[in-house]
This record gives sequence, structure tokens and C-alpha cells, in this order.
Amino acid sequence: MILTEQEQRMLDGKEGYPVQKAMQILVQLGEIYDAKRMIPVSRVHMPGSSVVVAGEAGTKLVEKMAANGGYFKVTTTLNTGAVDFGQWKELGYPEETYKQQLRLTRAYEKLGGIACHTCTPYFIGQVPRLGEHIAWGESSAIAFINSVLGARTNREGGPSALAAALTGLVPEYGYHLQENRYGQIHVKVEVPLTEAVDYGSLGYWVGKKAASKVPVFTGIPGDVTMDQLKFLSAALASSGSVALYHVVGVTPEAATLETAFGGRKPEEVLTFDKSALAESEASLNKHQGQKVSIVVIGCPHASIEEIGAIAKELDGKHVGPGVELWVTAAQPIKAFAERCGFEQTIVKAGGKIVIDTCPILSPMAYVASKKGMQALVTNSAKLAHYAPGQWAMPTYYGSLQRCLKAAVEGVF
Amino acid sequence: MSSEENTIMAGVFKGRKVVGGKARGEALVSKEPICFLGGIDVKTGRVTEVGHPLEGKNIAGKVLVFPTGKGSTGGSYLIFESVENGVGPCAMVNRAVEQVTAIGCIIAEIPMMDRVVPDPIELIKDGDLLEVDADAGTITTIVKK
Repeated sequence: MILTEQEQRMLDGKEGYPVQKAMQILVQLGEIYDAKRMIPVSRVHMPGSSVVVAGEAGTKLVEKMAANGGYFKVTTTLNTGAVDFGQWKELGYPEETYKQQLRLTRAYEKLGGIACHTCTPYFIGQVPRLGEHIAWGESSAIAFINSVLGARTNREGGPSALAAALTGLVPEYGYHLQENRYGQIHVKVEVPLTEAVDYGSLGYWVGKKAASKVPVFTGIPGDVTMDQLKFLSAALASSGSVALYHVVGVTPEAATLETAFGGRKPEEVLTFDKSALAESEASLNKHQGQKVSIVVIGCPHASIEEIGAIAKELDGKHVGPGVELWVTAAQPIKAFAERCGFEQTIVKAGGKIVIDTCPILSPMAYVASKKGMQALVTNSAKLAHYAPGQWAMPTYYGSLQRCLKAAVEGVF
Repeated sequence: MSSEENTIMAGVFKGRKVVGGKARGEALVSKEPICFLGGIDVKTGRVTEVGHPLEGKNIAGKVLVFPTGKGSTGGSYLIFESVENGVGPCAMVNRAVEQVTAIGCIIAEIPMMDRVVPDPIELIKDGDLLEVDADAGTITTIVKK
């Protein structure tokens, strides 16, 4: 890699320990991927913002950067944390996790991080433009901003995003380069996608086959919503490591099929039909008829539209005995939901809007065993994918309406 | 770990250094990608992803051979944490390394190689004793005399 004079100074430690350590990580990464140079990034979204992910080792690293005078050079938002700071106790999280999370959040704040603790920063104003170079963590948010917004990032893990924030730089390789942004696999959608959950099922099925390649979808209607694309993004990045996809006629780098593939031929053509949809849904339903204990909506974190739809559906109803309903969202979206009266309706129905965290990035195994939870219900392919492995939780997966019906009736 | 005198080299694979270093351990091979969040318990090293070919097996001290990483970007810190907890792999080998895994190996300081020929996923079996020398770009299978 060729470094500028200033970058070399950073690497030599002239800007202090945090910047030097960060440059070491970035240079090593650049060498792995044959980057020729560093390029500036304008924003960072920080993975490893939950103590469940960062662990003691990661927390110490972040604290060390803060203690040695490190400070983020660009706008840096924090991904989802391990507890809801306001209602951790009533949700059943251990005090130890709350304290550890506070330590990690404070260290990031000292570095200049914005403690929004959400996986959908694009719903609360952290919105890069088409072609903007950024460093993004959180697999679902990466796929969303690369694909739906056309900004440019690689899949940043915690330490590399930390390094990018401390220096304002990333090595130029991968999805920062136009040549790597063209489609590789053509996915023909030949079944009507009627519910948001269908987009999760589609993404889950394709992610498994695409691994880290760039899928190009045809057959997705032009009026697909942001929420539906959110579910598609999250699922593609759960069963696979898809960081970029195109939807012809919808996403900004795919005006036509030819543009999306950059004039090249697809390496593979897949057809997503009625039986593939059924197969994908079935693979996410991992249960043996256990009792419904918890219903989670908002993975990735809910939009105001979703919360509005939940409130409408639950108006005048109440969740069943022994069932918890969590709607996970970013704090500003919760405030918005309160202003609109949606939160009051949800709370009246016995549900909760949970902020700062989510079941995947919190010690949910502890909560589930403490409360004797038997099964989870969700409309998120991502959560249905992670819950059985991470907290040994049998999972029901279906549409928002079906999930809310299960919350009320106690049976899926 | 067997001593040098009681072993012979059986086969040499050549590949690219991703993270430098040398390690010796038994192979644990997966034909499927691995996610370190939710897929592996970093307190015990046990693979927990339901339906994964390695489900129930333990990565502690192993040379972990798999095609590439997948899923959560939390993976980097979780690799670091598993190694700090003493239950991480001693080295990793991929067909094509993905960034989250690469970063995890950089920060955990364990040797990592990819682009290895012939394909180790096809040829290396669970329990094979391997010596990974990432700096030299070689993986050697060791057989006890």
C-alpha cells in the first residue's frame, strides 16, 4: 500500500497510540485485500456496540483507545447494545450486563460516538448518499445502505470500524470499487411477495446460495417498501454474508438488468418460486408446537410505519396470559410512536416498546431461562435464524398479522 | 501436542498468508460457512448453530478449516473473545477470507490463511494434525510415526 505523508505519520505514532493502532489494523487489512491506498470515509456505524459481542476483550480495547485520547474523526453512530437502559430490570436483564454495557457505551461516548444503539441508523438520520464512502457495521444495515441507498462500504467488523472512526480512513478495496459492485447472480422472483415477511424468506433462501456474492433481483414490484427491503437485507446477511444486492427498477445502481450486471453475464440464475418460498418459511420454523412465550417484532429495529401497523392491529385487544410482546426500535422512533399515540395503544394491549437492544445482541438466553420461556414468535427471518442457536429457543416464523394474533391468542 | 521427533510430514498445502504466525493443532473442517455470533459459544468453544455441520463440536485449540465467514459483523470481537477466553481456534484456514473473520484473526493474533491449494476443505479430515505456517504460506499435515 502507498500511504500519504500524513498517513505514514499516523502509522508512525505521531498522532498518538489510538490512531497508530488503528492505522496498523487498516494497513494489515489493506494488504490482505491488495488495496493500493487509503480513502476517506464520511461516516461510521459501529458494530461491537453490545457487550455481548465486544466481550471483556473488546470493551478493554475500546476503553484503552478512550483512555489514550482517541477521538472519532467522523460522525459515528453506535449499533444495538445489550440492554434497554431504561427498563432493563423489568425486561429481566442481569444487572451485571447493564453495568458492563454502561462501561462500553461510556467508552464509546468518550471517543465521540453517538449512543443511539440501533441497527437501523437509516431510520434516524444517519443516511449516506449514493456513492458516499463509509465504514458500516451491522450486517443488515450494511446490505441496506450498500444496496438501497447506494453508499459504499465493506462488511466492517468491530475493530475495523473502530479503526475507521479513529482515522477517518479505510483501505480502498471491495465494495468501495465500482468493479466489485456489479451483480453476479440473477434471482428471478416468480411468486407474488404479499407480506413483508416474504421478503425475509426470499433473502434467507438466496443468502444461503449466494454466500458473499452480489445477487440481482428481478420480479420485485416497484412499490416495495423500505421495511420490506430492510427484511430482505437482514435475511440475505444472516444465511449468507451478502453485503450488496440490486433490485432492478428499484435500487439506484440497477436501472436495468444490464446496468446491474455491468454488461457481464450472470454466473448463475436462480428462480424463487412458490415452492422455494414454502421451503424457506419451513426452514425458519424450528419448533415442536411449544407454548408461545414471547413475540418479537422489530428485527431489524422497527420503523414508525411498522409500529403504526402494530398499534392498529392491537387496538382494543390484549396479549394473552403469560405472553410477552416486545417491539424493538430506536429511541427516537419510540419517541415518535409516543407522539403518534401508537406506544400508548401497544402498552394498553400489554406490549412494550424496547429500545437500545434486541434479543440477538442481548443476554436473551438468561432472560428466557429465568422467565421459563418456551418459544419465540417473530416475523423476522434474521431473528428466527439466530434464536434457536443462540438461546436454544424454538421459533415460530410468520407474517406480522399472524405474529400479533399469536400474541393475543397465545397459540401460533 | 505430539513432539517433533515422533512425527513426519505427510502432505503440504500452499496458500496465502492473511495473518502471520505459526500454530499446530487438530483440524476441524466445515463445508459450510461459519458465523461467530450465535453460531459459537465463546465461553466454551462449542458450535451452537442448529443444523450446522459442526453443531455440538468444539473449536477450542483446533485449526478451523471452513469456506468463509457469514452473518453478523459482531464476529470479529467474538473471535477475539473466544481466543482471550482460551477456547478459540489456534489457526484458521478459509477458501476466501471474508473481512469480519480476517479482522477477528488480526486482533486475536492467530495465524490465518486462505486461497490454499489443493482445496483443504475437500482433503483435510477432522482430527488430522496440522501445522500452519502462515508466514511461509504452508499447511503441513503431520502423521505420527
